[in-house]
Amino acid sequence: MKAFTFLAPEALDEAVALLDRHGRDARPIAGGQSLLLAMKDRIARPSVLVSLAGLADLRGWRYSPSGELEIGAATTYAALISAQFGGWHGEISAVAADLADRPVRTMGTIGGALCQADPRFDMPALAVGLGASVDTASAGGARTIPAAELFAASGGTVLGPGEILTTVRFPTLGAFSGVAFEKFRQRVFDAAVVSAVCGLRLDADARVADARIVLGAVAQAPVIAQRTGRQMTGRTLTEHDIAELGAAAMEEVLPVSQAMSSFHRYQRELVGVLVRRAITRALDQARS
Amino acid sequence: MTETLPRTRRQTNPPAARKLVGQSMPRKEDLALLTGTARFIDDIRLPGMLYAKILRSSTAHARLNRVDTSKALQQPGVHAALCGQDLLGKVKPWGDMMQDLLVGDHFPFATDKIMYEGQEIAAVVADTKYQALDALEVIEVDYDQLPVLVDPEKAISPDAPVIQEGISYEFGDGNIFDRYRVRVGDIEETERGADLVVRQRFTSNRQAGAALDPHGCVASYDSFTGNLTIYSSTQSIFMVRDILADTLQIPRNRVRVIVPDVGAGFGSKAQMFAHEVIASVLSMQLGRPVHLVLGRGEIFRAGTCRTGQVRYAELFLKRDGRITGYRDYVVHNCGAMSLWGNQVIHIGTNVGMLPYPIPNVHVDADIVHTNTAPAGPLRGFGIPQMIFAKEQLVDVAAEQLGIDPLELRARNVVRPETFPYRTPMGQVIDSTSIYDCLHKCGEAIDWERKRAERVPYEGVGLGVSMKYTSCRHPSFDTDLSAVRLRLETDGTVTIFSSDVSHGQSHATFLAQVVGDVLGVGFEKVNLAQPDSATSPFGLGTFASRAAAVLGTACRQAAERLREKVVTIAAHVLEASPEDLETGNDRVYVRGLPDSGLYLENLASYAAYRTHQLPPGFEPTLESVATYDTPTEREAPDGSGNLSVTYSSAAHAAHVRVDPDTGRVTVVDYAMAHDTGVVINPLVVEGQHQGGFLMGIGMALGEDYVYDEDGHLLSASFKDYQAPYATELPELTKIYEIPAPSLTIPGGQKGAGESGAGPVPAAIANAVYDATGVRFTALPITPERMLLALKEKERQGVDTLRFPDDMPDFTGPRTHQEWPEPTASDEGDILL
Repeated sequence: MKAFTFLAPEALDEAVALLDRHGRDARPIAGGQSLLLAMKDRIARPSVLVSLAGLADLRGWRYSPSGELEIGAATTYAALISAQFGGWHGEISAVAADLADRPVRTMGTIGGALCQADPRFDMPALAVGLGASVDTASAGGARTIPAAELFAASGGTVLGPGEILTTVRFPTLGAFSGVAFEKFRQRVFDAAVVSAVCGLRLDADARVADARIVLGAVAQAPVIAQRTGRQMTGRTLTEHDIAELGAAAMEEVLPVSQAMSSFHRYQRELVGVLVRRAITRALDQARS
Repeated sequence: MTETLPRTRRQTNPPAARKLVGQSMPRKEDLALLTGTARFIDDIRLPGMLYAKILRSSTAHARLNRVDTSKALQQPGVHAALCGQDLLGKVKPWGDMMQDLLVGDHFPFATDKIMYEGQEIAAVVADTKYQALDALEVIEVDYDQLPVLVDPEKAISPDAPVIQEGISYEFGDGNIFDRYRVRVGDIEETERGADLVVRQRFTSNRQAGAALDPHGCVASYDSFTGNLTIYSSTQSIFMVRDILADTLQIPRNRVRVIVPDVGAGFGSKAQMFAHEVIASVLSMQLGRPVHLVLGRGEIFRAGTCRTGQVRYAELFLKRDGRITGYRDYVVHNCGAMSLWGNQVIHIGTNVGMLPYPIPNVHVDADIVHTNTAPAGPLRGFGIPQMIFAKEQLVDVAAEQLGIDPLELRARNVVRPETFPYRTPMGQVIDSTSIYDCLHKCGEAIDWERKRAERVPYEGVGLGVSMKYTSCRHPSFDTDLSAVRLRLETDGTVTIFSSDVSHGQSHATFLAQVVGDVLGVGFEKVNLAQPDSATSPFGLGTFASRAAAVLGTACRQAAERLREKVVTIAAHVLEASPEDLETGNDRVYVRGLPDSGLYLENLASYAAYRTHQLPPGFEPTLESVATYDTPTEREAPDGSGNLSVTYSSAAHAAHVRVDPDTGRVTVVDYAMAHDTGVVINPLVVEGQHQGGFLMGIGMALGEDYVYDEDGHLLSASFKDYQAPYATELPELTKIYEIPAPSLTIPGGQKGAGESGAGPVPAAIANAVYDATGVRFTALPITPERMLLALKEKERQGVDTLRFPDDMPDFTGPRTHQEWPEPTASDEGDILL
């Protein structure tokens, strides 16, 4: 680790100003569960750290008047686990409760995970899968970005230097009738080898009105399996259909021609399995 | 030819009162560990101490042209810098003694050549470790990349790049730095007479010791006295002292090695390392203490790990299931340099033949260098690798002969009518309960029912092994430990020993031994910190030798001390020594345990009231004993009784495989062991639990994964798949069936490594039973498991060998294609 200056602003505009003033040498820090490890290994070498821990506006969650779930970016996993979300929003708590280990869950934040944009992390895939969007603040002003556009295809995020992610917005409970996040990791504390998200809405006849399938860890950014999602719509899915959808997702996300190494062949198999599991569980939730 | 083997009688008297040996006394070590007050190497702080850091190679094979440390010396806080050229001609290379080389092949830094990623290039010492790290970044290194050799089988090719240049090995200049061979019986005749031959190529993985306490040291040179004191996290203080003194070319009585608490080693700290020389040289240059503790990535890359093996193994059997022969060609991967690696194949193969007294054994091994991390001893010393291959062949044979795997093993495990019994390989089995252990673990896992009532994707498997208890290494003609005891003037006892306790609970179990012999209370016995200036000479703690070898030395020292206190008491009490007993912290007349003289009184006579002593009695209450095991050197044909006694392990695994993800879950596990007379069941169970943990890691996840450029891709605990507690089944089926050693006076056998040996084999056999996939490579990761299942499905077969039934497998499939051993009978001075 290299020497650095630690700044602890108490308001968002102060944090924005500090990041603006110190330019590229400065990095915002929330829970520090990725950044501190990178600094320890001297991979990241910021000379100034601007802590977001003291910004009350960035912590906690609430429902907006329109029913969107707004989660402060510096809300820890531990806080998400104990939050009493309604309906399918509960899946956010379940995902937070089943990632990394307890120290990471105590310190790590939802916004930190999105900004880190590690493809093996759970939160990026979950946010894209559930159609979330994020609010940001910077010296240039505020903006809202759909999670699907937050992650650059080549890795990382599209956030500019000094831009702070402030809020993660999940759509209203009406957006989905069932959602499910599935992943496979070798050890319980490991990041995912592959993760899959299914969010779907059923119409009055229990047919799929619309559906989203998103895969994590198979590319530098979460991948939306659009074709597979479209195939689901307008149908009453049977077990046989779900197996076919799993196979379709494999072809769409990791076709044989791209799965050359043993690891990618394995990921390809997992895509099929996890998409099947995610659809099955999301359907069960929607039908119950 | 029959041989009369000496039968050793137990030397101790039968127990009079309730004994400490055999009881689960709470560990004396635990309070400090559980309260965080134990002091490890990184906790050492000396006045004026500086911090050193090492610049390590980021490339695996290169010609090193120039190292320039001049800019580093300009950095703030920097006191000195060193590189290989600075030390050429000033310190002596080491590694000759363990490897039977004429000249050592180890040096503190690369000088003209880089041979593996992580090799030492330069070092800086500064006021703080961060200043030292800053300064490392400005050291200039000029090198030319060389072709990298990762695959051990390519190392034997004549056109392979040569790694160790300029060292004349017995077999020339190539990458084969040693060979090993066994010629017992007549293998050609065995092959002709065999009803069944099963053969398979197996590869085993490299595994890290992964001790949580890092490798490191603090060296402190006193410029006035010329004494070098070094605190080190090591398993052997005298190995470090002797080799460090020799490397620095200073007298051995000028080097003092002390250990703080050592948070495990598993074999990975059983040698002197470059960092110990570097810190010493820097301290000698500056006259100040130098702290040098390695980071985890450094330990993965430059600490030692388990040797990797490629085995072309063949097992010969008769129709009735009798094993008549074993033949093997092994390529043994020791990494770019290795202190102990060649010894691993000797002992691992010799002892690894057990528990079967196989009459005909024919083994050739090429022991090679590759551009990978140094490899050497690790829990099991070659036995888990050997057992993985051999015990799977036993299952292959059982299936082909139509004999139950448990029954086939039962027909073959060593079960002589009289003990001691010498096997054809030369091991002297002084006692064993392996036959009973096998049946016990089968019963505990419910073998017959689970074999009969099939559950899809579930299966059971067995593995049996016997383990050495300490060893006479082929290159090392000694196997001793020593203890000195002092009865202090208040009746307490101090134990001095150089054997480092790093999980073996010396303070606890030695106190139990002393307590029983001397009659002193368990809580009154204290173990001094190992310190080469005050401790008697001993080899160190490795090879499962603590209870049996160190324990025997301790027992003998205690008996000698007992004789002294009884002599004094007899004089004072005017009684005959034969009428006196020890116990309850005193010496008393038999039958009157509440009378007599306290040890405190007896000690004070020897220290402060010497007129009370018997005439001519030397006023001392110290005793010392050294125990060297009655083991043999390895014979030229590879046979010999290398171990003083043999502990046994029979394991049974019940696994479930997820056909969707390939995850292998051990749902039930049973282990039955013969550890002889157990001094402390709690400690022994802890050793078995820990051994199982390392075994399951080797079986299911741990590996040194290299890319083709020789970069280690698994050099952190994030990437290295060591199991967490969450990945382990709860081990409740642990059984001891003691067959007390007849050679060791107290009846003990080694405990530390029995738990690891059979685990990969038992799990692999269970995986085959569950899925029909015979794993020939370790580890069995979910990725490999799932791809094997898919390949089996694609081929439409019931059974599959993985990876050699995979389309991209390029190695030889049949014995006709197997490589010829490069070892030949001609020109080998060993034969």
